Amino acid sequence: MQAESRRRSILMSQAMIDDLADRPPPCAPRREGRPLTEPNKQARFERTALPHLDAAYNLARWLTRDEHDAEDVVQEAYLRAYRFFDGFRGGDGRAWLLAVVRNTCYTWLKRNRPPTPPTVFDEALHAADESFNPETLFLQGAAREMLHEALGELSPEFREVVVLRELEGLSYKEIAAVTEAPLGTVMSRLARGRGMLRDRLARRLHEES
Amino acid sequence: MNCPENRDLHAYLDEELDPARRAAFAQHLPGCSECTRDLEAQRALRTGLRDGGFRVTAPVALRERIRSSLRPAVVAPARRMLLPWLAAAALLIGVLGAAAGTYLSLRRPADSLDVPRQLVSAHVRSLMEKHLCDVESTDKHTVKPWFQGKVDFSLPVKDFKDQEYPLEGGRLDYLNDRPVAALVYRRHKHVINLFVWPASEAEASPQATTRRGYNLLHWTQDGLHFWAVSDLNAEELAEFGRLQREAP
Repeated sequence: MQAESRRRSILMSQAMIDDLADRPPPCAPRREGRPLTEPNKQARFERTALPHLDAAYNLARWLTRDEHDAEDVVQEAYLRAYRFFDGFRGGDGRAWLLAVVRNTCYTWLKRNRPPTPPTVFDEALHAADESFNPETLFLQGAAREMLHEALGELSPEFREVVVLRELEGLSYKEIAAVTEAPLGTVMSRLARGRGMLRDRLARRLHEES
Repeated sequence: MNCPENRDLHAYLDEELDPARRAAFAQHLPGCSECTRDLEAQRALRTGLRDGGFRVTAPVALRERIRSSLRPAVVAPARRMLLPWLAAAALLIGVLGAAAGTYLSLRRPADSLDVPRQLVSAHVRSLMEKHLCDVESTDKHTVKPWFQGKVDFSLPVKDFKDQEYPLEGGRLDYLNDRPVAALVYRRHKHVINLFVWPASEAEASPQATTRRGYNLLHWTQDGLHFWAVSDLNAEELAEFGRLQREAP
């Protein structure tokens, strides 16, 4: 508990240092026009951003892979988004917010988690098993756990596109906006991510049997 | 993965193919066991992901935590904690400023940051906000005057419709809180943002770089920075740069 609050205070002071650097989040809308009055701004921000809280939390949860960390990150992301809300002209609020959440996640991970070498996964060695029969797969409860685990083990750039596409139902264009990547990159990451999920499942099922 | 049509499989599954390619892939499917099997596997995987209860919802308390953190009364204590920091920072800046003030004031604010990264963000943002242009016109004589009084330099506006890089309009953008001009061009389906602002050096030859899969090209001409940003391939972006530099 003490460690928890200590960690949180470290987080806050780092956030303040970031404030001093005054760098807008990469996806912040342009600052322009007359600043909104505070109560109006807050009401408008809440109307724009709070409906996407579940999407924000789900993304943060899958990127940090920890529910408490996800809560901290989402709260920090909302504060950041609020600070840069003055120039928001009402485009895609969800994509805008998720981009801020995603960036906050990566900043947070870099700051708080030692870099771990990615799980080496040789696709050539684990080419899809010809006998893999996916039709019956999801009738078994164990397969669900395996899939959950396999998704968590994908490296973040593949995990995030699968989460945004399959769990949040975002279009390719929206995913491109959130991840600040070209459409072609989104497509190839999604294809590779799904391919890896399939291969990992096939391998696990093979090990089980 | 030997079938060349396999590359369209995921876009087909996601209903992101244009109608012609969608029809072509649908026609291809019955005759190709590889694509059929892959598609079935991916459909099953999708069902597993969507119906597995993997999407988590935010705790109720988090919504309240966020709402109360936005209220000024709750923000205030944080500001008080920030004050000593600000005082210390101001002192430090004062001391450093005495020595380096002149130098810093002459530098353009954006020079010292990761400019390409910020430009890619600005480019993506322009595509995202459904607000690519503040002034929408293919006529350079409309676009150029629009910038008068909005930027503190004379902006050269050129059109390359004949070379298939048509001008689409312009926009005022912000880079590190400094207004910069953004001219919008299109090459087939690709948008090119050309960002322009004053430079401290008169001329610099073009340099290409990439960030997050986007191509960027920078040069300096007549005391102005030019940054072209696009998901266009590097060769065509270089051609665009050459046209810009060489046109009268």
